[in-house]
Amino acid sequence: MPDLSYLPQIALSGVGIGCIYGLIGIGFCVIYNASGIVNFAQGAFVMLGGMITHTALHRYGVPLILSAVIAFAAVAVIGIAIECLVVRPLWTRGAAMFVMILATLAAQIVIERATLIAVGDQPRTLPAFTDRPPLMIAGLAVNTQFLWIFVTSLVTVGLLALFFKATIIGKAMRACAINREAAALQGIRVSRMLALSFALSAGLGALAGILITPTQYTAFNVGVPYAISGFIAAIVGGFGRPLGAFFGGIMLGLAQAVAIVVFGAGFKNVAALSVLLLFLFLRPSGILGSSK
Amino acid sequence: MTKSPRTISPEAWRRSIGALPWLAAGGVLAYAFVFGGYLTTVMSFALIYVIFVTGLNIFMGFAGQVSFGHNAFAALSGYTSAVLTTSYAWEPLAAFGAGLALALACALVIGYPTLRLRGHYLAMATLAVGLIVYEVAVEWKALTQGYMGISGIPPLGIAGLEVTSERGQLALLAIVVALVLGAAWRIRESRFGRALAAVAGSEDAARALGISAAHYKLTAFLASAAFAALAGSLFVHVVGFVSPEVYGLHMVVLSFTMLYVGGIGTIAGPFVGAILVSLLPELLRRFKDYQDLVYGVALILLLIYAPKGLSAMKGLVRKPVPR
Amino acid sequence: MTLLALSNVTKRFGGLVAVDNVTVSVPESGVTAVIGPNGAGKTTLFNVISGFAAPDRGRVVFGGVDITGLPPERIAAQGLARTFQLVQLFGALSAFENIKAGCHLHTRGGLMAALLRLPHTRHREREVEEEARRLLAFVGLSGNADIPAANLPYGRQRLLEIARALATRPKLLLLDEPAAGLNSAETTRLSDTIRKIAGGGAKVLLIEHDMKLVMSTADHIVVLDFGRKIAEGAPDEVRRDPAVVAAYLGVSGAQRA
Repeated sequence: MPDLSYLPQIALSGVGIGCIYGLIGIGFCVIYNASGIVNFAQGAFVMLGGMITHTALHRYGVPLILSAVIAFAAVAVIGIAIECLVVRPLWTRGAAMFVMILATLAAQIVIERATLIAVGDQPRTLPAFTDRPPLMIAGLAVNTQFLWIFVTSLVTVGLLALFFKATIIGKAMRACAINREAAALQGIRVSRMLALSFALSAGLGALAGILITPTQYTAFNVGVPYAISGFIAAIVGGFGRPLGAFFGGIMLGLAQAVAIVVFGAGFKNVAALSVLLLFLFLRPSGILGSSK
Repeated sequence: MTKSPRTISPEAWRRSIGALPWLAAGGVLAYAFVFGGYLTTVMSFALIYVIFVTGLNIFMGFAGQVSFGHNAFAALSGYTSAVLTTSYAWEPLAAFGAGLALALACALVIGYPTLRLRGHYLAMATLAVGLIVYEVAVEWKALTQGYMGISGIPPLGIAGLEVTSERGQLALLAIVVALVLGAAWRIRESRFGRALAAVAGSEDAARALGISAAHYKLTAFLASAAFAALAGSLFVHVVGFVSPEVYGLHMVVLSFTMLYVGGIGTIAGPFVGAILVSLLPELLRRFKDYQDLVYGVALILLLIYAPKGLSAMKGLVRKPVPR
Repeated sequence: MTLLALSNVTKRFGGLVAVDNVTVSVPESGVTAVIGPNGAGKTTLFNVISGFAAPDRGRVVFGGVDITGLPPERIAAQGLARTFQLVQLFGALSAFENIKAGCHLHTRGGLMAALLRLPHTRHREREVEEEARRLLAFVGLSGNADIPAANLPYGRQRLLEIARALATRPKLLLLDEPAAGLNSAETTRLSDTIRKIAGGGAKVLLIEHDMKLVMSTADHIVVLDFGRKIAEGAPDEVRRDPAVVAAYLGVSGAQRA
C-alpha cells in the first residue's frame, strides 16, 4: 500500500515542476498561435537556459543573476536564429506542417549535439537562488527554490497576459494568430511577429530551465523530456491558450506526483504520456477548450 | 516528324535518370555482398530499415498521413520475438507471427481513435505512442531486462536450419526486401493504392467518390505497422541482441531522414534512402560525436531544399508536353 | 417520378439559418438548376444533400432511400456524385489517375487483391483504364491524360472533376458552380458537356450564378434567397417571377424592371 502521507508534500513539488511545464507549454502556444506549427526545439531552449547560465557562472565567474540574464538573452537570439534558418525557409516554400515539426526536431538534435561537443556530457547544476533552509508552512516543508519558481512563474504569466491584452505588439501577435492574412492587410509585419514569437518562446523556455536547474540538473539531453512535458501541458490546457497551458502544466505536475506515489518513480513518464493520449483522444481541445 | 538518330529522346533520359538511384544503391549492395566485411553488416541494417521505411512510406507517402511513432510497432514485434525465442525456445518464424499479431492488435486499438485526429495532433499522438512503448520497454524489467536488454537471440532460420553467415543473412534480407518493394509497388498500382492517393489528395473529394477516408487510413496504418513489425523482428535476429535504445527516438529521426533522402511516395525512395543514409556514418567514422549533428543539419537542409528527395530526380527532366 | 426529394430541410450555423425549411422535388428528367444571390444557402444545401453537413431538421430522400445525415461515402454509394465549388482534384495525380480513382465505387478489391494481383484483378485494372480513357475523351481531355491535375488550366480542371464524378456512374450529379472562373468559351464547352451528360441518362443538379448557362441548360429551376425557396418552375416562368427579380435586383430594381 503506497504511503499516502507523502502526498501533500509531493503534490507541492508537483505544483512546482508543473509551473515549469506550464512555462514551456506557454512557449509552445505562443509559437503555435503565431505560425500554426509545433516547435519541437522548445526543449533545447530549456536546456540551454540552465546550461548557458552554468557556463557563464562557473567558467567565466559572472554573478548568478547576470548569468541568468545573459542566458535569457542568448537563448532568445538562438530562438530567432532557428526561426530564420529553419522555419522561415520552409514556410516560404509552403512546406507541409509536419515537415516543419520534423525540422524543428532536427534543430533540437543539432543543438543537443553541439552542446555535447562543446561542454561534454556531465550533468551540471546551479546553486539555489537563495541560501536558506525550507520554510514550514502548514506542516509542509516549502523549499525556497519552489517559492522562486512559483512566484516567478505567476509574475511571468501575469506580465504575458498584460502584454497580449494591453500592448500594441501583443495585440498584433494575437491578430496574427487569429487571421494571418487579415493581419498582414492591416499592416502588421507577420514575419516580424513570427520572429518575435520565437524569441518570446525561447525566453520562456530559458527561464524555465534557469528556474528548475537548481532543483534538478541540466545536461545536453534533458531537452526532449521537457519539450514533451511542455507539449502535454499545452494540450491539456487547450492548445492555443497560454493561460490554459499554465494550468495544464500544473495539472500535469500534480498527476505525475500522484503517479510517483502510487506507482513508483519509474512510471513518471508513462503517466505523463498517458495523460497526453487521454486528452488527445477524448478532448483534444483541452480543459479550457481551444481558442480556435 | 522524323527523329534524328543521333539524339536521345527526353523519355529515354527520364528513364535513365529514374534508374540511377536504383543502380547506385544496388551497386553498393552488390559490392557489400561480394567483398564482405563490415560493409555487409552495415548493409544488413540498411535493408532492415528499407522494410521499416517502406511501411512508413505507405502511410505517409501513399496515404499522406503522419506518424512519428511507428518505432513502437517495431519494438513490440522485436521484443516479442526476442522474449519468445530466448526464454521459451520458440521458432523465429512463429515468434514473429506472435509479434506481428501483437503489433497489429495494438495498431488497431491505437489507430482507431488516433486517426480521427489531423495534422499536428496526429503527429503528436503517434509520437506519444512511440515514447510510451519505449518507456514500457525500459521499465518492465521483468520482461524486457530494461536498459540491459536481451541477448543471445538465435539467428534467422527455420526448423533447425540457421543462417549464420554474414553473406547468408544479407542474401536472405535482400530477398525479403525485394518482396517488400514488390508489395509496395503492387499496393500503389491498384485500386487500394488509388484510394490511398485519393485520401492523401483530398479527403472530401475522396469521400464524395465513395472512398471511406477513415477505413483506408486505418488499413494503411495497419499495413505500415506490419512492415514495421517485420523490420523489428528481423533486427533482433540479425543482431542477436535488443535493448530499448534500438527502437528509440533515434530510429524515428533516422527513418525520416531515409524517407526524405530517398524520396517520399516513391517505390525506390526507401531503398535508396536507407542504403545511402546508412553509409554516412561509415564515411564519418572518425567523427563519431558529430554523426547526429550532421544528420540533423543534413535533414534540415534536405527538408528545405530537396523535399522530394533523390528518387524524384527524374522529375527534373521535363516530359515533352503534347501539343 | 422524383429522384431526389427534400422535405423541410433546415440547417443552422449558430445564429445564422443557412437553409430555411426548404422542400424541393428534383424530377427524374433533365437538368435542374438551383440559383439565388450570393449567400442564399445553395452550397449549404448541396452539402446537406451530399452528406457533408447534417441538417438540423427535415429529410433528404434519394431514389426512395432516406439518406439524411449519412456520411458522404455512403451517399456516393447510393449513386449521388458531386463536384465542389473550389475544384478538389488529386493534384499530384495525373488526369488519368484521377478518373481511375473515381471508378472506385463500381469496382472491387482491397489490400489482399492488390498484393496477390491475380489475373482477374489485372483484368479489372484494364477495364478501369478503358473506362477512364472513355471519360477523358468524353470531356475532351485525352491529350492531357498524363499531366498532373494541378498543372491543368482551370477550365480543364473543372471538366476533369466532372469526368471523375461521372466515373462513379451516378444516378444524380451535383455540380457546384461549375462555371465559376471560366471564360465564355470554356462556359460554352461546359454547357455542351452538361447537356451531353443529361442526355446520356444521368440527372444533373446544378448550382450556378451564370444566367446564360442556366437558361441554356436547365429544364427546371429552383430559386433560393436567404435560405428559403422563393420560386420554382420552368426557366421562362422563373425569369418573370417578381420575387425572383426582386431578390436579384433589389426591390427598386424590380420596380424599374
